[in-house]
Amino acid sequence: MSTERYLTFALGKGRLANKTLELLEQLGITCEEMKDKNSRKLIFVNEELKLKFFLSKGPDVPTYVEHGAADIGVVGKDTIIEENRRVYEVLDLGFGKCRMCVCGPASARELLQHHERIRVATKYPLIAKDYFYNKKHQTVDIIKLNGSVELGPIVGLSDVIVDIVETGSTLRENGLEVLEEVCPLSARMIVNQVSMKMEYERINKLIHDMKKLVKAE
Amino acid sequence: MNQNMLHTPEGVRDIYGEEYARKLRVEELIHEKIRSFGYKDIQTPSFEFFDVFSKEVGTTPSRELYKFFDKEGNTLVLRPDFTPSMARCAAKYFMEEDIPIRFSYSGNTFTNLSSLQGKLNEVTQMGAELIGDGSVEADAEMIAMLVQCLKNTGLKKFQVSIGQVDYFRGICMDAGLEQETEMALRENISGKNIFGVEDLLKECNISDEHYLALLKLPELFGTEEILDKAAELVSNERSLGAVERLKQLHRLLKTYQVEDYISFDFGMLSKYNYYTGVIFRAYTYGVGEAIVKGGRYDNLLKKFGKDAPAIGFVVVIDDLLTALASQHIALQTGENNILIIYEKNSFDKALKKAISLREEGKFVELIPHNNIPTEKYLAFARQNRYSGVFFEYDKEDAKA
Repeated sequence: MSTERYLTFALGKGRLANKTLELLEQLGITCEEMKDKNSRKLIFVNEELKLKFFLSKGPDVPTYVEHGAADIGVVGKDTIIEENRRVYEVLDLGFGKCRMCVCGPASARELLQHHERIRVATKYPLIAKDYFYNKKHQTVDIIKLNGSVELGPIVGLSDVIVDIVETGSTLRENGLEVLEEVCPLSARMIVNQVSMKMEYERINKLIHDMKKLVKAE
Repeated sequence: MNQNMLHTPEGVRDIYGEEYARKLRVEELIHEKIRSFGYKDIQTPSFEFFDVFSKEVGTTPSRELYKFFDKEGNTLVLRPDFTPSMARCAAKYFMEEDIPIRFSYSGNTFTNLSSLQGKLNEVTQMGAELIGDGSVEADAEMIAMLVQCLKNTGLKKFQVSIGQVDYFRGICMDAGLEQETEMALRENISGKNIFGVEDLLKECNISDEHYLALLKLPELFGTEEILDKAAELVSNERSLGAVERLKQLHRLLKTYQVEDYISFDFGMLSKYNYYTGVIFRAYTYGVGEAIVKGGRYDNLLKKFGKDAPAIGFVVVIDDLLTALASQHIALQTGENNILIIYEKNSFDKALKKAISLREEGKFVELIPHNNIPTEKYLAFARQNRYSGVFFEYDKEDAKA
């Protein structure tokens, strides 16, 4: 409707943000300000195209987008499921591919066969709960951890873990292995419901351009 | 004093002063419009038996309801939305009525949302329901009335997005999908999640036509021309009927001259299961969600024993206010408020003035002078948007 308005992007800090910016650059959307690594700015503006960008912690991206504080967000599928916000999930960006898995020592495989009550350590309590309750119909105790989840089975805090596995090298080095796969993951583009309606043309064009790029890669 | 006594629980809040004046004004402006279409006010209780909002009715999920018990052990629920109550009322008091009934209501609704999401658990909703008229003219009246309501509050940039649940249902039935798959599809389609839909459909054994139509659904939104596109994708009667209905509706909305605010979205599927035909939502800048939700619910009244079609909408007043504020749209409040400051010996004079102003329809507040500097009174009046301040002092008489 109005061209005056800025479209705001929320990007999950780290690799996802860098990859997204690379993609956008291929579309001619750049943000010079953001390339300055020493900058302490929190928000970056492209005046010409009326775009704003900011970086945030991954789990906060869906929150910004749901409230409309950002129109568009890029974040991992794991975060989208875990946060369970009401946003449009419009595009699989194809990078950041990995898997959500149940992992543990080989000896724990047995525990997953019998609906036995076991302890599960994870950064993703919602995903873990949904998987065990609704797909496996196994009652479990979920222990929320905030990092280095692999420690759980090693120090005896839990029987297994539910976590993201990319190459599996951390697991192997610590004597753990993938026991079951919960779901595949990758980076997704999400859009606020209202923005999708009010800024349909701009956002739709962006989605289509991005889609072409992603397919070409 | 116990400081904790000053807090309200999470999800609820006090609204006072200028903000509340704005809120009442918005309610007034919307109510005015609704009334001009002949809708009659109705009040229903804040809590009802659990069954009115149960899973079969298809409203808010049970775990998001505030539940408690009466002395006999019945489960009671604070209303999460008005529509089921309206349906119950229509069935109870107008069981034999053939002539369409028009209800208008306003009040607070309660949903027990998870914490720390920055959302209110108690919001004010105002809405209208037209019961006993299943025609496309009724659909058009509802949507046109909604546009006029929003315009009346001063809102200019907004979009009403219209969908038709039957389009999706028609494809699902024709394809013979199981209910579980349909539910999962519904969620992915409303989330505009195309690859989610793709994944689901891969596991189903359905024809190419159904596959393509369902896969297209998340993207099937836009202005008028989307209607023809939608018609090309399907061959089943129910879906085609849905498109035809929207075409008729669009013609009528042109007659109402509100088509500039209208767009269509076949992928819009409400989480409320009771919607059966046309559904619609209004969006505007400044709020992350729809500020108005509505739709047709032709089967809901049957659950209460009266078989009648119905359509309605609800405006979330608190969200609309947020939008108006963020778009800097002024609402006239306080233009009649007047402050009179008097000193003890001038009370008679002050009172006389107050009486005559009150007769003119002004809202007059009398405040005894209390050794506060005049500037402070003036600042107070400005801050609270009084339109006039009079000073009845023993010696001088001044107006600001």
